[in-house]
Amino acid sequence: MVVLNFTLSEDGVAVLHDALACMFKFSDDVCLEARKDKLTLTTLNISKSAYVCFSFAANRFFSKYNFEGSPQYRERFSCQLYIKSLLTIFRARGGASDVSRENAAIERCDVAIDDGVGKKSRLVARISFRNGITASHSLPYEVKAPTHAKFNQDEAGNCWAISSKTLRQLMDHFGPSIELLDINTDEENHVVNFTCFTEKVQKRGATNSEAVLKKPLHTNIAVEMDEFDDVSVEDKMHIIISVKDFRAILQHAQITSGDLATSYSNPGRPMKLTYGADGVLCEFILMTVGEKDATYQRHKTPKANSAKAPTSRPELDSASHRASSAQQVQPAPSVEKQPTQHKIPTASRPPPPAFDMRPPPPPPPTAPRSPGLFISQDGGDDDDHQWDPVNPDEEEEENARIEWHSNSESDPFAPRISSFARKPTQQSDATPPERLVSGLEPTQRLSDVRRFGLFSE
Amino acid sequence: MRFKTDLKNIRTFSKLTAALNSLEKIAWVRLDDDSVRFTVIPDTGSQVWASLSVDLIFENYNLQSNELNNTINLELPLGLLQRALKSALNSNHANLRLTKRDGVPMLSMTIHTHTKEQTTAHHENPRARFNGGHHEDDYDDPFAQADMQTDLTMKREREKVITQDIPVRVLHPDTVETIMQPKVREPDVHIQLPPLLQLKAISDRFTKLALTTSSTSSTAARSERNNPKLELSANMFGNLRLRLFTDTLDITSVWDNLENPELDPSQLTVPVEEHPSVAFREGGADKWATVRVDGKDWSKVLSVGRLEGRVIACFVDDHALILYVYVPHHDDPGGAEDVVTYYVSSYSV
Repeated sequence: MVVLNFTLSEDGVAVLHDALACMFKFSDDVCLEARKDKLTLTTLNISKSAYVCFSFAANRFFSKYNFEGSPQYRERFSCQLYIKSLLTIFRARGGASDVSRENAAIERCDVAIDDGVGKKSRLVARISFRNGITASHSLPYEVKAPTHAKFNQDEAGNCWAISSKTLRQLMDHFGPSIELLDINTDEENHVVNFTCFTEKVQKRGATNSEAVLKKPLHTNIAVEMDEFDDVSVEDKMHIIISVKDFRAILQHAQITSGDLATSYSNPGRPMKLTYGADGVLCEFILMTVGEKDATYQRHKTPKANSAKAPTSRPELDSASHRASSAQQVQPAPSVEKQPTQHKIPTASRPPPPAFDMRPPPPPPPTAPRSPGLFISQDGGDDDDHQWDPVNPDEEEEENARIEWHSNSESDPFAPRISSFARKPTQQSDATPPERLVSGLEPTQRLSDVRRFGLFSE
Repeated sequence: MRFKTDLKNIRTFSKLTAALNSLEKIAWVRLDDDSVRFTVIPDTGSQVWASLSVDLIFENYNLQSNELNNTINLELPLGLLQRALKSALNSNHANLRLTKRDGVPMLSMTIHTHTKEQTTAHHENPRARFNGGHHEDDYDDPFAQADMQTDLTMKREREKVITQDIPVRVLHPDTVETIMQPKVREPDVHIQLPPLLQLKAISDRFTKLALTTSSTSSTAARSERNNPKLELSANMFGNLRLRLFTDTLDITSVWDNLENPELDPSQLTVPVEEHPSVAFREGGADKWATVRVDGKDWSKVLSVGRLEGRVIACFVDDHALILYVYVPHHDDPGGAEDVVTYYVSSYSV
C-alpha cells in the first residue's frame, strides 16, 4: 500500500536537489522520514562528527502531500536511500538553448513510497515534462530508523547570526589545504575573527629548512560585530570546526537565502547551524575541536577533558521508536538501479558486432579551452586559464584546487555501485559505431534525447 | 630588520606573481631602497630576473636593514603570495610587512575590503515559488519563521580586515652573493614578439601535436617525445618562425611585419656598426638566428603574456634566447618602464 505520496513543482525539484547535493558532501546515504506535517531528510557523516537535517513543511513546500501511514508505520515512516540515485532523478534538466530548456522543463514530479507486507519496497518518482514525456524511476530502499544527533539548546549560550552570502564570500579568502576554522571574538576591537589554520603545521622542528615555505597560508578575517545579528559570545573563546564541513554548509546556505544562525557552548561540544528558506528548515550539528592549544580546557578540567575533548562526537540519539531490524530490506541494488534504461529500446545494447570495428579516433588529449587555433583575445582580466602552462596535469596544481565540489567529484560512492551504474553509461557512449553494424539507423542523437530526462548521465 | 609598505597596482603584482609561479614555486626576493627584485631559478627550465622600481607596486615604502646597502633578501612561496594578492584585488587598502609569528618570519598582508554587493532579488514573493500559495500562514507553523527573518537581513555592510600571513625565509647576504644574473653576448637578432596569447596558442598546439604523434618507440625517442622541442627563428626583417620538426611532422608558422627595434647606442658595449645584428641585417631575410626551446617550458615562459607588456626577444644564434618583458606603469603612461628578463633555456640541435 502507498505509505506516502507527494508532488513537487519544478522549483521544488530544484530545491530538493540542492539539499541532496549538500548532503552528499557529508555522506552517501540519506534517511528519509515522513510524518503527517513534514518530510525530513537526515544524514550523518562517516566519522559521526557532522549531522545534517533538512525539514520540508508538508503544507508549504509541496504542491500535494499525503502521508497515509500503515498499520506498521502509523506515526512516521522512515527509510534509507542512496543520495547519488536521488540526485540523478531530481537533477536539473535542459539543454543550452532556451528552446530545449523549455522542452525539458519539469511540469510536476510525483513521488510515492509503496510498502507493506508482501510488497516490494520501492520509491517511485514520476517526472512529467512540459513536452509530454514522463520518466519513471523506481528505487529500492532500506527500511531503517533514522539516527538523530542530540543538541542541547539550553547549554548553548553562545550564538551569532550573519548573512550567509557574506560569510560565503569571506570563505573565498581562505587558501587551499587548510583544515580548521577557529571562530573567536575580540570584545576590545569589537570584532569576530575567523582564522584558518592547519593542524599539521603546528609541529615544530623543521623551522630552519625549506619546510617553512611549504606551510599553508595563515588567514584571519576580522568582521565587525555590527555586521552580525545577535552576537552573544563569551569573549576570547575559540571554537574550532572543520573548514570542509563549513564550506559545504555555506555553499548551500548562500543559494537558499538569508541569515545563518549558530549556537554553541564550549570547545569539544557540538555547534548548531541553522537557516531557513521558504518551507524548508536546514539544520547542521557539527562537532567542534577542543581549543587551539587546549590549555584553557586542560587547566580547567583535566580529567573531564581527557574523556571528552577531541574524541568526543555528537552523541547520537538512535533511540528510535521501532525495532526496525525485523523489517529491514536489503537494498538489492543491482536489480533495478536504472530501470529507464531497460524500457527504452535505443539504450539497450545491440549484439556485439560481427567483426572488429576500428574504435573511433581518440579525442585530442587536452585542448578544452581552445578549439580553434587562434583564441579570441577579449578574454576578461579574470579569465586567466589561457596563460596556464601547456600541460597543467603534470603540475601539482595546488592553487588551482578549489574545494567546493571535492566530494561529488571524488566520487566516494563509486565503489559501491560502480559495477552497474558506470557501465551502462559507457556503453551508451560507445553505441553509435556499433549500431551501424547492426543495421539500425539512429533517429535521434543520444545527446538530444538525454535532456528529456530519459537517460542517466 | 624592518619592512613595511602599502600595496598598489595589485593586479599587475598579482599577474607577475602568477607568471613567475608557473616556472617555479619559490622566488628569491631582494628589496633595497630603489628596487624590488624577484628572481626564480628552476632546476631545469628558464630563469627570470624581474627588477621593478619600488613605486610600481609599493607606496609608503619603509625598509631598514643592517645589511650593506640597506637590503633584505627573502625566500618566498609564490603560490601563497598569489593567493594573498587575490584577496587584495578589489580591496580598499592593503599593506605588507615583515613580521614574526611563533618565531617564524612572515610576510603579513593586511587587507581592508568589502564583500561584493548582496543580491536580494530572490527574496521577493518567496511564496510564489512553490504551488503552496493557497495555504494560509499558520502562526504556529515553525517554518513561517524563515520568511519573517528575510526582511531583517538588510544589515549595513562593514569593512572586513583580512590578514594573510605568508611564511618566508630570510636569506643571509652570503647565500645570495653567489647567485649572479647570467651574462650573454650581444644578440644576433632582436625582434618584438607578436601578441603572446597568439604565440602561446600556436606553440601549445605544436607541443601537443608532438606529444601525441610520435611513431618511434626507442627510449631516446620517447624522452624526446615527452619533452618536445620547438625551433624558434627570427631575422632582422621582421619575421619570426616557429617550427615543429619530428620524424612524422614538419610544421611551421611564420609571422611577418614584426618590428626589429632600433638599438640605443648608449646602452651598447660595442659600437653600433659592430653589433652582431648588423651582420644579420646585411645577410638578408634568409639569415635566421635559430634556437630550440622545450615546448612545455616555453609555454610556462609565455605565461608572462598576462602582464600585457611589450616583449622583445633577443636571439643569439644556436646559443641563447632572452626575452625582455616591459611592464607598463598604468598610473604613469609614457614614464619609466620596468623590465622582466627571461633567460629561456635553449637546446642545441
